[in-house]
Amino acid sequence: MEKVRDAFDFRDFSTPEKVGFAILTLFLLIFPLLGAGSFVKAVAIQFLLFSLFGMGWNTIGGYGGQVELGKAQYVGIGAYTVALTMVWWKIPFWVSMPIGVLIAIGYSFIIGYPLFRLKGHYFAIATICTSLVLQDIFINWKLVGAAKGIELPIHEHPDFLYMQFKSDTYYFYFIMALFYVAIFYMNWFRKSKLGYQLRMIKEDEEAAESLGIDARWCKIKAYSIASAFVAVGGGFMAVYNLYIDPYSVMDLDLSIKIALMSMLGGAGSMWGPIIGSGFLVPLDRFLGSWLGAQKGLIGVDFMIYAALIMIVSAYQPRGIWGIIEQFRKR
Amino acid sequence: MIVLDALLQGILMGLLFALVALGLTIIFGMMDIVNFAHGEFLMIGMYTTYWTSLLLHMDPLITLPASAIVGMLLGLASYYCLVKYLLRGPMIAQLFGTFGLMLFLRYLAQFLFGTDYRIIQKGLLVGKTLTLGPFLVDWTKLSSAILSLIAFLFVYYLLHRTKLGKALRATALNREAANYMGIKTERMNALAWMIGGGTVGIAGGLIVNFWYVYPTVGLLFVMIAFASVAMGGFGSIKGAFFAGILIGMLEMLFPMFGQLVGSDFFGPHFKFTVVYFAYFIIVVFRPQGLFGWKK
Amino acid sequence: MAFLEVMDLVKDFGGVVANNHISFQINQGEIIGLIGPNGAGKTTLFNCVVGYHKPDSGKVIFKGKEITGFKSFMTNREGIGRTFQLTKVTAGMTVLENVMVGAFCRTDDRHLAKVEAAAILGFMGLESVKAYHLNELPIAAQKKIGLARALATQPELLMLDEVASGLNPKETEEMVDLLKKIHKDKKITLFLIEHVMEVVMPISQRVIVLDGGEKIAEGLPKDIVKNERVIKAYLGEKYAKGL
Repeated sequence: MEKVRDAFDFRDFSTPEKVGFAILTLFLLIFPLLGAGSFVKAVAIQFLLFSLFGMGWNTIGGYGGQVELGKAQYVGIGAYTVALTMVWWKIPFWVSMPIGVLIAIGYSFIIGYPLFRLKGHYFAIATICTSLVLQDIFINWKLVGAAKGIELPIHEHPDFLYMQFKSDTYYFYFIMALFYVAIFYMNWFRKSKLGYQLRMIKEDEEAAESLGIDARWCKIKAYSIASAFVAVGGGFMAVYNLYIDPYSVMDLDLSIKIALMSMLGGAGSMWGPIIGSGFLVPLDRFLGSWLGAQKGLIGVDFMIYAALIMIVSAYQPRGIWGIIEQFRKR
Repeated sequence: MIVLDALLQGILMGLLFALVALGLTIIFGMMDIVNFAHGEFLMIGMYTTYWTSLLLHMDPLITLPASAIVGMLLGLASYYCLVKYLLRGPMIAQLFGTFGLMLFLRYLAQFLFGTDYRIIQKGLLVGKTLTLGPFLVDWTKLSSAILSLIAFLFVYYLLHRTKLGKALRATALNREAANYMGIKTERMNALAWMIGGGTVGIAGGLIVNFWYVYPTVGLLFVMIAFASVAMGGFGSIKGAFFAGILIGMLEMLFPMFGQLVGSDFFGPHFKFTVVYFAYFIIVVFRPQGLFGWKK
Repeated sequence: MAFLEVMDLVKDFGGVVANNHISFQINQGEIIGLIGPNGAGKTTLFNCVVGYHKPDSGKVIFKGKEITGFKSFMTNREGIGRTFQLTKVTAGMTVLENVMVGAFCRTDDRHLAKVEAAAILGFMGLESVKAYHLNELPIAAQKKIGLARALATQPELLMLDEVASGLNPKETEEMVDLLKKIHKDKKITLFLIEHVMEVVMPISQRVIVLDGGEKIAEGLPKDIVKNERVIKAYLGEKYAKGL
């Protein structure tokens, strides 16, 4: 029971943080009623989705300090499980999603066991490899649609069984609900034994081991949790976009974006991924649509991110949250 | 027979892979940074030779030095403008730093050159083949392989027989001691990047003779480079050489295997998956690679 | 039955035999010192016992159970705690959180861990700094926190790696008192690697001396300082003249 209480206990956050969070919550609740256009709504949904992804990554990448760049493979697992089971056997979302999560967790243990023998750069590259391998397999595997992907059948009437709706508003509240579940989970996580142990591993792995912590096992656990998170996001993508293919849900670019948002916002902090997502998703979309309109400027939006990444890496690796904390200390 | 042919092709490509891997392993051996932008340096080397030979109406082999120079400048610029600062920060910052560089260069290329696929069309050796006994070999591939080997040997000579090279290796082995001996380690860092950039620039200049260049071509080659470096041992030059060749052969043999098994699934499109997979297996089970030192 | 028994331990680093057939015993409740010139193999021996290195041959037996080659976290769970000569100083966790991690070794409950951690900080006289980060504190405090962390794992044998290095004379005195207190109140067996003789000699019941990878002497502190081989190994060390 204490566990549940922990999730909802925000007492150890500072007042500005709590106020900020409350304002965000209020804003999100009334957002659909503000009459924003469909583009803005789509951006808002993306923001929440990527916050979800980011919070998942943060578990192993931020708190655990293990930079991994292969999260997209789990997004794919979640998305494909939901999509395929729906197309083949008409299985409702609420059944297929947990199955997807279980598959993601299972796969993450299988990969994680050898993977966590590695550290640092070798580890990061290996995570890229595993994701690329899975993507390649899916691109060539006719059974799951290969490069063409899977189209989900459109239902005449919106329903909660298959999570298909005509209006974006429903999707918005859906992803928002998932977002808050993630937040409560992260709140619990950072106070849990695993959370403390992981942070110690990040600080000083040798010292952590001397305190009875099996570092490798802890990392694998955190990695699995992260995978479960993003798999849920993947499932959402399947029912929201009603179309998935290996490029949209398993791409290296997606893995990079996820890690990047957390890092930019502040890896290892609770709000980091949300801040990062809140900053980058609108930037991405608005920049993309503005620049996309000017023909000669393809790729400039990425150049801007890339420049951002380099600047942040060189000057403030702890991201925006790191900058905020520095100000607070003054 | 087909097997021997595949092996020959593999060795030729492998020599190029080795050259690509060389730069990566030097930089890593020097300062423990994995240059994620290495593939993009290659891509820029490719574009350099392409554009100079096209615009100046010269044979690509003559414009090759341009790629080398651009590569060296790129390496230097990367070091002094970015990497120098990354070295101060935690590993996550270093990783993302070179990652950002990779993305920046990639999309800069996309912005400047568009997404079209390009390849050298005109040149002394383009399109000509040589008959070596029962084997048919493209002149471009053969000359590239030979030049690659020469470049490799040149760098090896530089590192092992010159005073500068020794200073570089000393810094890589023990930075502090090198410092005390009066070696300017900052300069050594920059030199490593210069050599790294230069060699992969040359490799690019050679590859574009028979391989299409487009903004994202770097990713392919950088993964091959990673696999070579991992297999050979991070920091080992000999390792990069042999591993590069090995991977070249592996790549050629893999579709053969598919044909033998008769399975459509194992087609050539999986060539690179094999490389990624190989990297994973090697790094997990033999982290020091074939010749590297254990970290 | 000896509490900790090291039998014929060998560790070879491919050219340098850091530990050459070392054997000794520690009984429960003792305070044992390990000294020797730089490069004698003390740290290697230490690491072989706690699990950071795997010995090439020989055995390590703790409380009757063979723990040779056990990894660090396993030896810790068996009841061996250790401190580090240099604590990696970072700003990520507060002092209290650091010690809590140690406490988490024995409990899954956060509140219990917190209480236990606070109790240990109190025992060590560190409650006032519990909300600080390690990088904000002086070396003496950092060393004590390293100790506190290890204590939180409820070890029966505590191994200390140069716990007094970097301390000024007054801090060194405090450390000696603290070690005595830990030994008496918590009933923990202590095994210290040390260079600072003001710490080792007064509190050790027995001293083991290593030199060039071999054990060259073992006995009471007052006898060790008169031992010819020891004096020779430490040629230049003024402490050999008399306690």
